Amino acid sequence: MTDVAFAALRRRLQLGGGRPAQQVTDAARARDDTPRIRVAEVMEPPLRAIRCPAPTPWGAPVAFLDGIQRTELLGSVGTEPLVAARIAAGVRCRTDRLLEGAVHRVSHVVVGRPEALDVLGTLSPGWQAIPLTEDLEPHPYAIRDAARAAIDRARMGLELEVARRFRETDREAWLLVDGTLTSSPDWATDPRMIGLVKSHTTLPFTGDDLERYLTLPVGHRSSAYMPPTRSVTPIHAFGLRLWPFAGRDLLHGLLRVERAPTASALVEADLIAARLFAERAPLANDPRADRLLYGIHAVERWLGAIA
Amino acid sequence: MSMPIIGQVLATELRPSTPHAFHFWTGREAGAGIGTIVRVEAEARVIFGVVTEAFAWSDLARPLDAVIGADGDPASTGDAPTERVEMRLWTAAVLRQLPEQPVQPVPLGPVTLATDADVRLALRMESYTEGDDARGIPIGLYAAGGTGSPVLLDADFLLGPEAAHFNITGVSGLATKTSAVTFLLSSLFQRFPASKGTVAAVCFNVKGPDLCFLDQPAPLGEADLALWHRLGLSPTPFTDFTLHAPYKADGINLNTLRSHPDLAAQVEPLVWGLREILDFAEVVLNRDDVDAKAGALLDFLAERVVGKEFVAPELRDRPFVVESFADLDALFRAIFDFLETQSRGGEVWRTHHVATIRKVRNRLGNVATRSKGLVTDDGAVGDLPWGRFRDRSVTVVDVAGVDPLAQDLVFARVISRLREHLERRDLGVDHVVVFVDELNKYAATDGAETYVKRMLLDLSERGRYLGLVLFSAQQFRSQVLRRVVGNAGTTVYGRMDSDELALPGYATLPPAVKARLAALPKGELLVRHPHFTHPVFVRFPRPPMLSGREGVERFPAAADLPFAEAVVLRLRRHDPTISREAVQAAISGRPEDEVRRAIGAVARERPGEVLEFFRACLRRVIPAEPTAPPAGIRPLAHDGDDPFAPY
Repeated sequence: MTDVAFAALRRRLQLGGGRPAQQVTDAARARDDTPRIRVAEVMEPPLRAIRCPAPTPWGAPVAFLDGIQRTELLGSVGTEPLVAARIAAGVRCRTDRLLEGAVHRVSHVVVGRPEALDVLGTLSPGWQAIPLTEDLEPHPYAIRDAARAAIDRARMGLELEVARRFRETDREAWLLVDGTLTSSPDWATDPRMIGLVKSHTTLPFTGDDLERYLTLPVGHRSSAYMPPTRSVTPIHAFGLRLWPFAGRDLLHGLLRVERAPTASALVEADLIAARLFAERAPLANDPRADRLLYGIHAVERWLGAIA
Repeated sequence: MSMPIIGQVLATELRPSTPHAFHFWTGREAGAGIGTIVRVEAEARVIFGVVTEAFAWSDLARPLDAVIGADGDPASTGDAPTERVEMRLWTAAVLRQLPEQPVQPVPLGPVTLATDADVRLALRMESYTEGDDARGIPIGLYAAGGTGSPVLLDADFLLGPEAAHFNITGVSGLATKTSAVTFLLSSLFQRFPASKGTVAAVCFNVKGPDLCFLDQPAPLGEADLALWHRLGLSPTPFTDFTLHAPYKADGINLNTLRSHPDLAAQVEPLVWGLREILDFAEVVLNRDDVDAKAGALLDFLAERVVGKEFVAPELRDRPFVVESFADLDALFRAIFDFLETQSRGGEVWRTHHVATIRKVRNRLGNVATRSKGLVTDDGAVGDLPWGRFRDRSVTVVDVAGVDPLAQDLVFARVISRLREHLERRDLGVDHVVVFVDELNKYAATDGAETYVKRMLLDLSERGRYLGLVLFSAQQFRSQVLRRVVGNAGTTVYGRMDSDELALPGYATLPPAVKARLAALPKGELLVRHPHFTHPVFVRFPRPPMLSGREGVERFPAAADLPFAEAVVLRLRRHDPTISREAVQAAISGRPEDEVRRAIGAVARERPGEVLEFFRACLRRVIPAEPTAPPAGIRPLAHDGDDPFAPY
């Protein structure tokens, strides 16, 4: 079902001589999903499976950060597509086992080549036009992919903004982020932020190490390592097996956990792994529940309801 | 005072709002529950609704996910660091919309619990509880929202003329049917406006001591007293109370569990004679019996014979004076003797066939036998105070211990007489509430068509025009004639049986309301009243009078007295100075029937000189005079020569 908020834009597009269309697009397609291996430096050699200790309380409030986007093809001007999106990001903080919304931002964007955007005229308040570069090839797919990448960036911008606003009010809470910490130097240096990466398109090892990494038993973490591509914003990471993979894909239940490379990061790795392991329950109502923590899922659902 | 917002109306494609129902969600500690009255204010409209259904669910996708998430250990579910999001969704039936027109779906808006004023508006009580024509009768407190708001019934819809009758359903022992009715009667007597006329109650006690102690105060707890005061009522038992009970088969001890000597002053005998029975012969004769022929004979007896001098020279020279069953039987015997002597036409007497006469004699004889104690053969009648009913008086007719046939007779005659007097407006009061328990027995859907059933139907369908109002109770509403319960303007449910609730007759009640009814605590009722768009739950206080069980514990029934003692007691009710010895001397050696007849005469005439009158009513005893043995007759002269002489 298409978003009714885009209906006015489609009318404008039609009045401007464009061709309105209605198609929900795959938000993830624009991401770099190319599988690759980038060998990481093991910080706790040798690479091995380490059993998580019994979980202990976090000792401070825990908050979850995530963002969502809903992208639609608005139509086309000539042969050039226009893409619109509703994006949102938010933080929910947990107190006495209950989650409450702490910060959120919602934004609407429309993305396209400048001349295509001109057809829409002046946008209503709350809408933001994102022009693509002039030198983009005029292939509709190229424009569409570039638009999606721009929307991704816009969403990331919202996530950074809500994280900053949350940190302005609460410096003590643990902030668990859906995705990598390397998106921002602020995140990558925040000792109380934890990145939870579900995607494994980039793997950190090869050969026997890779097998050890991908066959971590449930309740175990890997030795901590430092991904090589993070020279600008270095982080420490380890793999954590939340759910058994027997009979399934090797990646089932495997989460990459990222933390700022502080002095205590390696010391606290066991503790963090144990705390995250305890977050397996309750199970999220989502196909990605093997890697998606309930708190992150709750933020997604919340944003979906309010955005 | 504005109440805090507890929820928000929601409307989706699958759960849309309509003019008669809406949905809202709340947090977990909202204070709402089944039966709670809520208020929605939005779009310049106010909507009142009563919660009829409740749902809760979490974001758990599959039950198996809960097992997996807890590693198969239910106890560890509480260890999860985050609680699942949980939904509380409520369905409410619209009680009222303001303004009433145009009728529109309930808008999206905030939901609050109803205040006292909201409850009054939601149940349309402002139309009959305020102003010069205030006529609200408290039925209990609306307690589901924590406010304890009084809920009142409209007297015009309880006693007529708009609607009338009250019916309560519930399982035995837990539904507090009797308590609810006695509370409502107390409430009615205290709050029924004098401008609406006078009112009295006639209650049939059909089991045990249920209604025998309605004048005896019972101690109430603080909670009950608080309820009474919140309702604006005084917790006092009935002050004008009389219990009428027939005698036992001995004709001298009353057939009631209220026989304690301390309570004898409010107990009156209920005794009827042949005249009273013959008017209701239909009751005691089943349909097969009362064919046209038997009916004709009964009419003949009623019009020409009973209570008159009946001249029948073919039977005997002097006229018959039939006042009692014994007199009637003498007439029948004379008829049979007469017919037996006839050579031709020996099967018919005055157009009545001998078989018909024998059948009527047999059935009427059965009445006297089976209803012994209620039916007297001595002509003395003890009856309800026809024409002398007092305002706010309670008259209990105790038929718990009598034969079912006699019970039918009592019901039929009392209700008929009430109707007759109300039609003539000479009963003494303008309205009479008749309370009948156990409608499953007296107005069952199955079973034979009885006179009592017809009476109850007539009462429920036409009684309100006369001011004759039926308060009734039963365990299974589904097994009572629909026209009887359906005519009740106010219907109340106590704790209900689950099987009963599963029947189609309760299809209009939402499942959650049924579930609550099946587990309703004592003292709570679901009330349906013409002004209420949907039934509401109320709590009523314990009545301030002894229950039957408490009554018999505090005032144990007196043991049956020997005949002579009972006679003394009966006479002392008229003259406490009468000595036992004098009475015993008067009745010594006399047949009991004769003594009973004399006591009946005393009760009827209420003479100044009780003992003298009593003695005068007994047959005169002629002292025996000794006579000398016959002297004999001298034999005739003996003739010794005569061999054939007897001597």
